[in-house]
Amino acid sequence: MMSLYAIQLECLVATWGIVLLLVDAFAPIPNKRLVGYLAAGFVAVALLYSFAIQPVNEPFFHGLYRLDPFALYFKRLFLLALAMVLLMAAEFSPRIESGVVEFYALLMFCATGMLLTASVNDFILLFVSLELVTITLYVLASYLRRQQPSLEAGTKYLILGALSSGFTIYGIAYIFGTTGTTNFDKLAGLLHSQAGPPGAAFVLGVLLVLTGLGFKISSVPVQVWAPDVYQGAPTPVTAFLAVGSKAAGFALLLRVFYAGLLPVSGVWNGLIAVLAGATLLYGNLGAIPQHNIKRLLGYSSIGHAGYMLMGVAAVNALGAGAVLFYLGQYAFTNLCAFLAIIAVTSATRSDEIPSFSGLGKRSPILGVALFLSMMSLAGIPPLSGFFGKVLLIAAVVQRAQTDRLYYVLAAIGIAAVVISLYFYLGVGRAIYLQEAEDTSPILISKPMRFGLYVCMAAMIVIGIFQRPLVDASMMAAKVFSLR
Amino acid sequence: MDILLTIAVLLPLIAAFVLFLFPARKPKAIRALAIFATGVSLLITLTLFGKFDRTSGGYQFVHSIPWLPSYGCSLKFGVDGISMTLLLLVGFISFCGTLISTEIHDREKEYYILFLALTTGISGTFATMDLFFFYFFYEMAVIPMYLLIGMWGSLPPGKHGRTKEYATMKLTLYLTAGAVLALVGLLAIYFVGGTLDIERLQHSIWLSRNTQMTAFPCLLFGFGFLASMWPFHTWSPLGYAAAPTAASMMHAGVLKKTGAYGIIRLALPLLPEGARHWANLLAVLACFNILYAGWAAMTQKDWKFVIGYSSVSHMGYVFLGIATLNLVGVSGAVLLMFAHGLMAALTFALIGFFYHQTHNRYVPDLSGLARKIPFIGVCMVMAVMASSGLPGFANFVSELMVFLGSWQRGSVVFRVATICAVWGIVVTATYMLRAVRASFFGPLDEKWSMLKDAVTLRQKFPYALLLAALLTVGFWPRLLTDIIQQSVATSIVSRLSTGAEAQAASPAMVHDAGAAR
Repeated sequence: MMSLYAIQLECLVATWGIVLLLVDAFAPIPNKRLVGYLAAGFVAVALLYSFAIQPVNEPFFHGLYRLDPFALYFKRLFLLALAMVLLMAAEFSPRIESGVVEFYALLMFCATGMLLTASVNDFILLFVSLELVTITLYVLASYLRRQQPSLEAGTKYLILGALSSGFTIYGIAYIFGTTGTTNFDKLAGLLHSQAGPPGAAFVLGVLLVLTGLGFKISSVPVQVWAPDVYQGAPTPVTAFLAVGSKAAGFALLLRVFYAGLLPVSGVWNGLIAVLAGATLLYGNLGAIPQHNIKRLLGYSSIGHAGYMLMGVAAVNALGAGAVLFYLGQYAFTNLCAFLAIIAVTSATRSDEIPSFSGLGKRSPILGVALFLSMMSLAGIPPLSGFFGKVLLIAAVVQRAQTDRLYYVLAAIGIAAVVISLYFYLGVGRAIYLQEAEDTSPILISKPMRFGLYVCMAAMIVIGIFQRPLVDASMMAAKVFSLR
Repeated sequence: MDILLTIAVLLPLIAAFVLFLFPARKPKAIRALAIFATGVSLLITLTLFGKFDRTSGGYQFVHSIPWLPSYGCSLKFGVDGISMTLLLLVGFISFCGTLISTEIHDREKEYYILFLALTTGISGTFATMDLFFFYFFYEMAVIPMYLLIGMWGSLPPGKHGRTKEYATMKLTLYLTAGAVLALVGLLAIYFVGGTLDIERLQHSIWLSRNTQMTAFPCLLFGFGFLASMWPFHTWSPLGYAAAPTAASMMHAGVLKKTGAYGIIRLALPLLPEGARHWANLLAVLACFNILYAGWAAMTQKDWKFVIGYSSVSHMGYVFLGIATLNLVGVSGAVLLMFAHGLMAALTFALIGFFYHQTHNRYVPDLSGLARKIPFIGVCMVMAVMASSGLPGFANFVSELMVFLGSWQRGSVVFRVATICAVWGIVVTATYMLRAVRASFFGPLDEKWSMLKDAVTLRQKFPYALLLAALLTVGFWPRLLTDIIQQSVATSIVSRLSTGAEAQAASPAMVHDAGAAR
């Protein structure tokens, strides 16, 4: 019975997805948009319910699964993302030719996988949950099957995703082969008691796992898929990739490296620092010439993976908490951006940045929402992204007090902030500084307006009153024995 | 009582949030609320100035709200003589800026929201006593500026070949680059010093020599970007030229001063050894500011570019005052920030007044304007005299203090720097007087016969207010110098004159690196 308690959220979301499929098969509801709103509402209730679940210290299922504060933090994040993405999907549904309800259901199955990743405490469950997320996303990315870009996105994601899954499982095999365990707690204990540096086969395994997880968070060297897939996939799926899938990748990365591999942090922290720097530069420099907003956000999401890797590379309590805080606020910020993009593109049918010209006049609310989210991504106070970046850079500077080389990473981080401001302001310039050719107002539905208000309020409130989210993320980060 | 300061700082921001929810159809009410917020904020600041204890150099009206206790961060406001002076400056300029914004007839709601947010960003920087909020407010001022220039600005085509979009992007990127550079220095101070409280850092913590040496250039150049330090000044004249009048006033008047304030408030007292090490370099850069920008101003034909380069040049005197590291020099720098802020704001307001009617501010095209707009002409002549450092204006007193402080240092570098700086006064007088003669005197061009002067009291008030403040301090400098010198003596010079050995002798002052960890 206790075990069911641990996985109740996963069960809830998966069951609701199956119910949707069955109802649609036997007694279809003609208004697909309404179904989407209902699904989103249900998930929102589940999100509220999740605050009643208490964390448990002991692992479940023979050490496979954890329901600690860290897991709950991520589960809430995924439920939030799912609710908003379902809202977007409902808004987007007229553009889907067939299988709208299946689209919702697939999103929910994908979210089930994400909910599992939050609790992973064993390489076996890691692989299973990762595959559940990735396989549903292959289908979702190519859902607009008569549109070539969407098919291209799905295929690219499939091929690179399969390759990186191969890397992951190969790495797990090496780690299991050299240590004889797949459980993170046992692995940490073993590595702790081991004298001398770990063997080459073990290090190779760690490298392969890092590469496989790097695909999920779109870090160098497995980041090239992101811009193409972000551009081609249906916009709600892009949002889910940016918010949910990336957070799932970071949840796994933190679990593997901070729970399982922490005793050998000397082996990997330098490498992650280098990857963080390279990812920051690739994402932010690559975004400069872009003129398609989804592609721009693809590069931007690579850049943000770089910022968060800075926190991972710092290997201190501040860094772990900073990554969690950043993911939390990043969800609101990105969801706000994608909500606004969906609302605009339903009217203009174009993702090109010039088609956002004069948005401030065509629809003041959409203009403000998109502008604020761009500024939050750029890290401008009083918006939430600002504090996230301060925490991450602070974590690196704290680490630099003992290891001077980390100042180089901090320098790359601040250079990236300046570069990123340039292209985010490029979107801002279109919204406010340029005149539209077509000045007809853009209308938005009530649920959409509600979603936008929630995200905007969250960006501003978290940006000014940082304390609740900071406390929650620092609390969640305490599950790792970091100083 | 103590909460009054917090109210004065946050009131414009609160008004901005209220405006956010306001219907855009009612521009008159929106403008009235903005005037009310900045006006009340100025009144409170004046009240606090009246109640200010002139014998104490420490922080007064301290009010603190715990914010992030786990990091020791609190929303703490308090002023000493230095920040009180600058807060007064913000009060005057933001109030006059809202008053003269009558020319804005497009998207008023957004305009006033941004203007008010900018005001709180700047006054918050001056009034906060917490390192995190210092950076928070400092950064907050950047984006309103971007939009103010981009949406309501204007940049007549010229030899520079730039658009206002280019100007505003350049400004934003430069300011952000400076801010993030300063951030790294501030974080290093936090991790070594173990606290975010500026007062504690100033009085009871002595950072290790290594930290001081490396953090000082981060702060100096980081804040230097915003204070238009040569060679990082190129964004500044272009930005002023493209900005709408009130934004130019805020920018030249106060926003730029936050950079110099950052150096005075944080870099000097927290990193005194670093300051001693880098002082000569700063003095040399200050001379480049004064002379290079002065000569650049000579060749300008656009009024706003003339004042833009002149303001870069004047920041050179502020830098020189800071570099002296002595009581007279640093106090002079603070007073000069006040005086120059008022003068620059006044000049930009006056340019805005005639530009609004002529749509031309190209000096050779203007002639004899004083015949049609005598009030504006008189004010302009006064502003130019203040700028050239004539006795009777606050600028004279402060520049004299900077020269005295700099000469006192005695080393060759500072002797040469002083001579350069005094020569800079001649340069300033040349281009300022030339510009005012060419455009306000001489025969009246037919084109400008339709100009209307400021006649009603309401129109004249903002200019008169700025001028009155400038003259009051000019004739009675002790009004401000007393409190400035008190604070400079207690919080800055006392730290600069103590060596590391003396600090190490008292164990309480030594702070071991790593307390934050």
